[in-house]
Amino acid sequence: MKLSCLQENLSKGLSIAGRAVATRTTLPITNNILLATEKSRLKLAATNLEIAISCWMGAKVTEQGAITIPARLLTDFVNSLPNDKIEMTLSPKTKTLELKCARFEGRINGVDADEFPPIPSIGEGVMTKIDPEALRLAIAQVVFAAATEETRPVLTGVYSEFDGNTLTLAAADGFRLAVHKAPLAEPVAERTEVIIPARALTELQRLITDQEEPVELTINPNRSQVLFRLKDVELVSQLIQGTFPNYNQLIPQSYTTRAEVSLAEFTKAARTAAIFAREGSAIVRLQITPGEELTPGKIVLSARTEEIGDNIGEIDATVEGEETKIAFNSKFLSDVLGVLHEERVTLEMTSSSSPGVIRPVGVENYTHVVMPMFVQW
Amino acid sequence: MPIKVLAPEVVSKIAAGEVVERPASVVKELIENSIDAAATQVSIEARGGGLNLIRVIDNGTGIPPTETTLAFHRYATSKVSNLADLDAISSLGFRGEALPAIAAVAQVELLTRTSEELAGAYLNLKNGVAVETGKRACPQGTSVTVRHLFQNIPARLKFLKSPATESSRVSNLVSQYSLAFPEVRFSLFLDGRMALQTAGNGALRDVLVKVYGLETAEAMIPVGEVNSQVWGFVSPPSLTRSSRGHLSFFVNRRWVQSRLLSRATEDAYEGLLMTGKHPIAVLNISLPAQDIDVNVHPAKLEVKFRNEQALFTAVQRAVRAALVKEMTVPQVMRPPSVVDVPTFISQKEHLSRQEELFEGFAPRPSPGPLPILRVFGQLSATYIIAEGPDGLYLIDQHAAHERILFERVRAQQASRAVEVQGMLEPLTIEVTPRQEEMLRAGGEVLESYGFAMEPFGTRTYMLRTVPALLHEGNIAQAVIEILDSLGEEGESGKREERIALSLACHSAVRAGQVLSPEEMHQLVRELEQAESPHTCPHGRPTIIRFTSSQLEREFGRSL
Repeated sequence: MKLSCLQENLSKGLSIAGRAVATRTTLPITNNILLATEKSRLKLAATNLEIAISCWMGAKVTEQGAITIPARLLTDFVNSLPNDKIEMTLSPKTKTLELKCARFEGRINGVDADEFPPIPSIGEGVMTKIDPEALRLAIAQVVFAAATEETRPVLTGVYSEFDGNTLTLAAADGFRLAVHKAPLAEPVAERTEVIIPARALTELQRLITDQEEPVELTINPNRSQVLFRLKDVELVSQLIQGTFPNYNQLIPQSYTTRAEVSLAEFTKAARTAAIFAREGSAIVRLQITPGEELTPGKIVLSARTEEIGDNIGEIDATVEGEETKIAFNSKFLSDVLGVLHEERVTLEMTSSSSPGVIRPVGVENYTHVVMPMFVQW
Repeated sequence: MPIKVLAPEVVSKIAAGEVVERPASVVKELIENSIDAAATQVSIEARGGGLNLIRVIDNGTGIPPTETTLAFHRYATSKVSNLADLDAISSLGFRGEALPAIAAVAQVELLTRTSEELAGAYLNLKNGVAVETGKRACPQGTSVTVRHLFQNIPARLKFLKSPATESSRVSNLVSQYSLAFPEVRFSLFLDGRMALQTAGNGALRDVLVKVYGLETAEAMIPVGEVNSQVWGFVSPPSLTRSSRGHLSFFVNRRWVQSRLLSRATEDAYEGLLMTGKHPIAVLNISLPAQDIDVNVHPAKLEVKFRNEQALFTAVQRAVRAALVKEMTVPQVMRPPSVVDVPTFISQKEHLSRQEELFEGFAPRPSPGPLPILRVFGQLSATYIIAEGPDGLYLIDQHAAHERILFERVRAQQASRAVEVQGMLEPLTIEVTPRQEEMLRAGGEVLESYGFAMEPFGTRTYMLRTVPALLHEGNIAQAVIEILDSLGEEGESGKREERIALSLACHSAVRAGQVLSPEEMHQLVRELEQAESPHTCPHGRPTIIRFTSSQLEREFGRSL
C-alpha cells in the first residue's frame, strides 16, 4: 500500500471512523482502525462489534493494500502533524506503516487486515431515504428517554417503525416515553419495525450534523442489522432483538388540566429549581393555577432540600381545567424541555399521581409522557 | 427432689419437642409419610401459619384399619423392621416417632383407606388419646388433619414467629420437597390461597419454573446427567442471591442442610461471584445407603457422610464442569458489546492490588466530622483522590455513596417523607413462594420505602412505584434481594435497616464507574455532611488518609 493524502482529510476521517473504535474490549484488534485503498480512495473503518463506521476520503493511490493500525496512536500522531501532504507506505513484510509529512515521519506496527472483523455489507432489504435535518431532530427528541440500565435490553434501544411515508421513533425507560413522527423522503415497500440501539443513533446524530443529502437507510432481510449511508460515510448497527412494549397504551387519552406556557420561561424556571433540587432527590414541584377574570393563570415551580434551602419561581400560563399539583424528577423535566424548539409547549395532567404529557404547540409530531414523583406537599 | 421415672405424657411431650419444633416440621413429617406411601399427589393446606390447621391429603397406599391406632404408638412404624434395615434406609421416615409426637401436641384426625377396603377408617385423637373411631367414606389414600397445634404447650407457642413467617417456612419446605420429587404433584394452599402447584410430570425444570419463576428457571444450567451421582441445576454466575437460602440439596432424595455441600457448591463458583453473593442450586446426590447416616437427629435434616472428602470433590467438580461448559457458549441474548462494565475478576484483582499497595500504612482518620476536602481526580474509576488540611485522602466512591444514600433513606423513612417515583410502565416481577410470603408479611414496610406492588397473576407482581433514588438501578434485582433479606432471621428493627441498606447498595455508584469532576465534588460534599462519614453501612471504611508526615517519611524527606 502506498498513497498520499492531506493531513486535514485524514484527521477528519479518523475522527469519524474513530467513534466506533472499541474502548474496552476482549478482542484487541477492535482497538485498531482499518485502512484500505479502494481505487482512488482511502477507506477507514472501525467496529466495536455493535456498530461499525466506515468512511472514504480522496487520496492519490499508487499501490493498493490494507492494514489495521492502533486507532489511538494513529489519530494522536496524525492530529499532531502539520496541515500538509501525508505520504503513507506500508511495508508488507514487517506490517509497518510509515507516515511522512513535511519534516516529520513516524512508523507504526500494524496487524494484518484479514484479522479485522468483517464489516457487514447490506445490499438488499427494506430501503428508504430521509432528510438529515428531520432525522437529526427525531433522534434528538427521543434518544435520551432510552434506558441505560441493561436489565431490559429492548429498552436500551429506540423502537423504529417505518410505515408508508412515516418514520416513528419511540424510546422509554420505564419512567418516561418519547415518541416522534418524522416524514420519510421515500416510502418503504412494507411496514417494518425494528429496535435500533440508542448508542448507534447517538453516533448517527453526530455524523449527520453537517450532511445535506438525504440519508439512505437499509434494513437487512432478517432484521438483524441496519445500514445508514451518508455522503462518504456508512454506519452499520446490530439491531436489538425482542418485543418493544406497546407504547401507545402508555399515552394518556384525556386530561383534566392543560397548561400552555412559553418554552423559554418554562425552561428557565425549571433550570432554576433544579439548582436546589440537585442537592436532594431532584424533585421539582409544579402548582398549576387557572387564571381568573383579572389575574392570568400560572405555574409555580419550587424545589427544596431539607437543611439546605428552597426556591420558588412563577411563570404565566394559559390554564384550562382544574387547579392541580404535580412533582417531577428535575432531570426528566429539563431533558425534555431541552430538546424542544417551538415557541410554546403544553403540559397535560390528570392527577398528581398519573403521567403528565408534554407537547410542543404548533406541531403534531412529538409526544413526551413522564411519570410524576409521589411526594408530600 | 428425688429421682423418679417421668410420667408417660411428660415423656411424650419432651420427645415431641425434638421432632415437632414448629408447624413446618409437622408438614415435613406428614409429607414424608405421604411419599413413603407411594403417593403421586400430595395436597397441603395450612391456616394461620399452620397453628390453626394443617391438612395433608395424599393418594398413597393408605393404612389398613387394623393398624390405624397402632400408627400413633411411639416407635411403631412399617418402614423398618430389624436392625439391618436401619443401615440401609430407603424410606424418608423410619423412627416411628412422627405421628405420636404430633398427636402429643395437637388434635389430630386421620382418615385413610387402602385399595382393599371399601370404607375408610377414621380416627380422632385429643392429647394423644383416641376419642373417636369409626368408618367413613373416603378416596384411597390418607388425610391427616392437625388442629390447634401447640395449644397445650404455651412455652413452645411463645417461641414461634409470626403466622406469616411460619407460613413462609411451610411454603419453603413444600418447595424443597417438590424439587426433590418432581414426579409427585404437590399443591399448597396457605389460608385458602393457592401458593404452589407443581405438574408432577417428573421434569425438574418444570418444578423450577413453578418455584423460581420462568425467567430464573430458563437461565439455570443443568449439572450432570439425570440420575447420575450428582445432578440437578445451578444458576449461571450472573444470576445470584444475597443469601445461601437458595441452595437445595437432596441426598438420596432426602432434603438435607449440609455445610459441606454448600461449601462444595460455592467453591465451584470461586472467582465468579462477588462477595456476599450466593448461587441458586438444586442438586440431587446419590450415595449407597451404607455410606450415609441419616439417624443423627430426629428431624433428619442433617446427615453424616462416610467419605466427606470424596463427596466434596464430586459435587465441586460436577458444578464446576457445568459452569465451565456454559461459559464457553457465547451469550446470544445480547449483541456483543464492548462498553460493558469490566468483569468482576479484573475488578477483584484490581482491588486486592490496591489493598496490598497501601497495606500497613493506611490508618483510618479519627472519628468526627470530615475536614473540607479538595478533589483532584479519580483512581482506577473506583477511588476519589482528595487533599485535606493534613495529607492525602482516598475515598471509595461506592462505599461513600452508599453511606450518603443510607442516611438519606433512613431520614426520609423516619419522617415519613419517602420520595417515590411512579413507573410509566409497571415492572412485572416473579417471586418464589417463600418470597411471596415475605411480601405478604412485609408488603407494608416495602411500601413505606416506596415500592408499591400489586398482585398480577400467580406469584407475579406489578411494581408501580419505586423509591426515587433507585430509578437508575437494577430495580427487579433490588426487590428480590430485599425480599430475601426480609426472610432472614432478625428483629424487625434490623429488618428496616436491611431494606435501607439494600436500597442504598443498589442505588449507589459502582466501582469502575467513571465520574465527572462535578459528580466527585458533589459526592465528597455530601459525604462531608453525613452523620457517620467514615464507614459505609456495612462497616467498611469509606475514606483513608495518608498524613503529610507519613508521605514525608515515605519519600525520605524526614526521618
